[in-house]
Amino acid sequence: MNLTLKVWKQNNAQDQGHFESFQVSDVSKDMSFLEMFDVLNERLINEGKEPIAFDHDCREGICGMCSMYINGRAHGPWNETTTCQLHMRAYNDGDTITVEPWRAGAFPVLKDLMVDRTAFDRIIEAGGYISVNTGNAQDANCIPVDKTSADAAFAAAACIGCGACVAACKNSSAMLFVSAKVSQLSLLPQGDPERKDRALNMLAQMDKEGFGSCTNTGACEAECPKGISISNIARLNREYIRAGFTQE
Amino acid sequence: MKWSQFFSTSIGKKLLVGATGFFLCSFVIVHLAGNFALLSTDEGRGFNAYADFMGHNGLIQFIAWGLKIVILLHAILALQLTFKNRAARPVKYAVQPGNATSSWYSRQMAIMGSILLIFIIIHLKDFWYAMHYGDLDKITYDVNGKEYANLYKSVHVAFKELWIVVIYVIGMIGLSFHLIHGFKSAFQTFGLNHKKYNGIINFVGVWLFGIAIPVGFAAIPLYIYFCM
Amino acid sequence: MLNSKIPAGPLETKWSKYKSTVKLVNPANKRKIEVIVVGTGLAGASAAASLAELGYKVKAFCFQDSPRRAHSIAAQGGINAAKNYQNDGDSVFRLFYDTVKGGDYRAREANVYRLSEVSGSIIDQCVAQGVPFAREYGGLLSNRSFGGTQVQRTFYAAGQTGQQLLLGAYSAIERQVALGNVKMYRRHEMLDVVTVDGKARGIIARDLVTGKLERHFGHAVLLCTGGYGNVFFLSTNAMGSNVTAAWKAHKRGAYFGNPCFTQIHPTCIPVSGDHQSKLTLMSESLRNDGRIWVPKKKDDNRKPSDIPEEERDYYLERRYPAFGNLVPRDVASRAAKERCDAGYGVGTSKMAVYLDYADAIERYGKIEANKHGKDHASKEEIIVMGKEVVKEKYGNLFDMYAKITGENPYETPMRIYPAVHYTMGGLWVDYELMTTVPGLYALGEANFSDHGANRLGASALMQGLADGYFVIPYTIGNYLADEIHTKPIPTDHPAFVEAEKGVQDIITKLMTINGTKSVDHFHKALGKIMWDKCGMARNAQGLQEAIKEIQALRAEFWKDVRIPGTAEGINTELEKAARVADFLELGELMCMDALNRNESCGGHFREESQTEDGEAKRDDDNYSYVAAWEYKGQSQFELHKEALNFEIVHPSQRSYK
Repeated sequence: MNLTLKVWKQNNAQDQGHFESFQVSDVSKDMSFLEMFDVLNERLINEGKEPIAFDHDCREGICGMCSMYINGRAHGPWNETTTCQLHMRAYNDGDTITVEPWRAGAFPVLKDLMVDRTAFDRIIEAGGYISVNTGNAQDANCIPVDKTSADAAFAAAACIGCGACVAACKNSSAMLFVSAKVSQLSLLPQGDPERKDRALNMLAQMDKEGFGSCTNTGACEAECPKGISISNIARLNREYIRAGFTQE
Repeated sequence: MKWSQFFSTSIGKKLLVGATGFFLCSFVIVHLAGNFALLSTDEGRGFNAYADFMGHNGLIQFIAWGLKIVILLHAILALQLTFKNRAARPVKYAVQPGNATSSWYSRQMAIMGSILLIFIIIHLKDFWYAMHYGDLDKITYDVNGKEYANLYKSVHVAFKELWIVVIYVIGMIGLSFHLIHGFKSAFQTFGLNHKKYNGIINFVGVWLFGIAIPVGFAAIPLYIYFCM
Repeated sequence: MLNSKIPAGPLETKWSKYKSTVKLVNPANKRKIEVIVVGTGLAGASAAASLAELGYKVKAFCFQDSPRRAHSIAAQGGINAAKNYQNDGDSVFRLFYDTVKGGDYRAREANVYRLSEVSGSIIDQCVAQGVPFAREYGGLLSNRSFGGTQVQRTFYAAGQTGQQLLLGAYSAIERQVALGNVKMYRRHEMLDVVTVDGKARGIIARDLVTGKLERHFGHAVLLCTGGYGNVFFLSTNAMGSNVTAAWKAHKRGAYFGNPCFTQIHPTCIPVSGDHQSKLTLMSESLRNDGRIWVPKKKDDNRKPSDIPEEERDYYLERRYPAFGNLVPRDVASRAAKERCDAGYGVGTSKMAVYLDYADAIERYGKIEANKHGKDHASKEEIIVMGKEVVKEKYGNLFDMYAKITGENPYETPMRIYPAVHYTMGGLWVDYELMTTVPGLYALGEANFSDHGANRLGASALMQGLADGYFVIPYTIGNYLADEIHTKPIPTDHPAFVEAEKGVQDIITKLMTINGTKSVDHFHKALGKIMWDKCGMARNAQGLQEAIKEIQALRAEFWKDVRIPGTAEGINTELEKAARVADFLELGELMCMDALNRNESCGGHFREESQTEDGEAKRDDDNYSYVAAWEYKGQSQFELHKEALNFEIVHPSQRSYK
């Protein structure tokens, strides 16, 4: 099939940026979305032009590096799918596809479709961990965790930190990301000692980074490639209230 | 952590918006109950007595002023968050997802809220201001000769004006969509998201606050305009 | 002469004795010592965090935008540990024995025993960090059997164990970043090791955003940079996985151990066309329930459902009745290749075999029917119930398959084919994980490791974390204790200047070739040579040809590669070119190593060395050694042999029949 791509091009963080159109022909339905970009880039290189820069690494939906906003949807039209897992059978001959980078003040564009997501790392640095030095641990089975909590903690921990929640949220809020980590650790007994500071500090860092607040539209949940539920956001709110009411 | 800090974060502000929202939800129920007195054909005896009581009882007055502060607080905080949220995305997307990932009214809380705010200002000017500082006709119903400001009449006069009825209906449409999302959303903000209760919260949000109450409010000017 | 520094004494006490006698660095001195960690996967993140916790000043580097994205994240199946929680007779010795045997007797006994010894502590540490391992209803940890072992020793978190373990290590490193003990350099790629007076003293790194070269000093340098499977172009590795750090170290004097030992994983989704950029692994756990088959007739183009039972060849069950579909990875991969080469392959490419769940669905369906007392359940009901069970166990893998292929694996058998997955070879290290360059260490997949010639399932995560959490914190002290008087070397030292200039020259050269072909063109050509001639089956003639072809391809690359843009700012083509340039040198060494090792062992199959019925034949008399190659200049490598002495486990021919 033949497609028209409208892709955001931006030389560097300071550049203004603009859309550029590309015709891509002979696209196979079996190609992944990023392989379609590979083919286009190969052609651009052969024409002596600069290829389109985009982030990607594992190409199996787990590293969280890929980050394209495709026709108004973070990671494209398929549910619970990352851009790298999206395949071209989602499209028809003659389609026009607009591809933009994640848009958020806290995720500045570095080049074309690449953005800087170190804000997420700084949020984790603010408390997304359990303070246990190597060698401190007791035997693993000394900490029983009921299966329901363990499963819920796992479901929250499945977050790949791709930033689709921020990209999809009209407020560029990082609440789903923050809540996934806070939930994982507050559901486990190991996370209990630090739970108050964790909720307060991670939220403070989120605010400081310039992410918006949550207005519960649910767009993040709808776009999350790992299906993280907004019930985690409710849990973060509870953790925040609990911490705020009791912390001196 | 100080309370001032607690309420100044993004969640803290949302908690205030949610709490004030709940308070306003309870207020609309009371307000609507009183309004139904407008539909009686007793020359306003019941309604004017109710309005008089509400206008002169100390406790009610205290709550009424509190109510205005709550409305302002709710609006200011929400607008503050809205502006901050807008600023969080300095460069907008060229293509929007439409309703594929969220409902339009959940995204337009600020617009619905602003319509409501404008409506409330008009509404207060028309009736509350007229009642307290205006020059309403007086009416007495009994031998004691107690005079009541005839708010009943002024409402009925107003609701014979098409444009006023239209404003009221638009205001109530704003209220409806604001509460369909707002009621449920406030529970989520307070951390109450539980499979067992989400159904009932959603039901009350949609049917009571989203439909029954706004329809009730809107029915009054419509009824007066068309049927009385 | 290679000194592996294996401590004297009985196997079981080597590590504990080493730990109690090793030199220590006192806390006040640790604060003055800087350690560079390159790579933030399981080995790198765990090492950086653990060393920072001890008080060292750590600088960590990753080429991704966050340490959380290292490719360890993609490991699916699980992590082994000799906990014996299932009371099924597991022990440190058994895990050790299985690993040495699984590696086809090409690993060091002492290292493997240590790995097995610390395996339990890894689980403890990860649970304490909040890694959500699968649990039983009683709240205790769940285990599964994996890769055909006879005990249940694999801990797992659904099909995302690598992700959860890495996020645990990532949280540990980020905690140290917050405490100021680790300085994190993201989107930075290491392009050379700096040595001063023969010792590793720093690195040259390129900031991939600005394009600027940076000099970083460290009293020691740890390379935790993963494997080099991408030399084959198509592999299950991430697109960015590369050999550059290890290769630069090799050129600076670190020997490369067993470079030809590559693991080809049997259950991957087959190639769908020329556009293919990478291959996706389907967890090995699928072989626990799936049955692998091809049609008995050549070029059979019928739909799989139209091929009756008696016309199917369940070749693994036929050839290996004792282990059936659960034979080790190398055996399963070669058997698939054998069938496809003989013309029995399926799918449009004919380079695939079926992995069939129909029997498993029916079997589970019947069990469910029994559970619910439905004695007369219809076949349809049974299949519906069976699908539910299979979905519960393998749902995420089936979904992944459906997304990629557009086929429904619940209805039609999956098509699978082997793909490059892991490299057992890597930088040669001694017992302390130090390479032949003093102060330069290699951890995790980057070293030639503990897996011998074949890695067992769920052992890579174990080794990466063992190296980072529980080995390097002890062994590095033995070196650094003598370095406490070394003041930080200013980065205007001639060694830094020289190294940076070398890197700059390469970049300038790459940018000025202005040829006609893209980097991927060369990478694909290299991959094809490697896959055809140094892949699942190798022979002397093919390897000799491959060496020549690679040399020619390399010459062409340096004449004709085209890299648009400039070296300033982000230039992804330049990044790829620098990596492919190193792959073009490594590929040659891999072929030389494969040519030298005229025996079949583990993942390395030399056609000249097989039994009459086509099974791999090891040659312990001549090849019971680690091949450690020293770089002597372009295309020149000198072989050093580290003899492998088996005191406890006596090598025998592996048999799975």
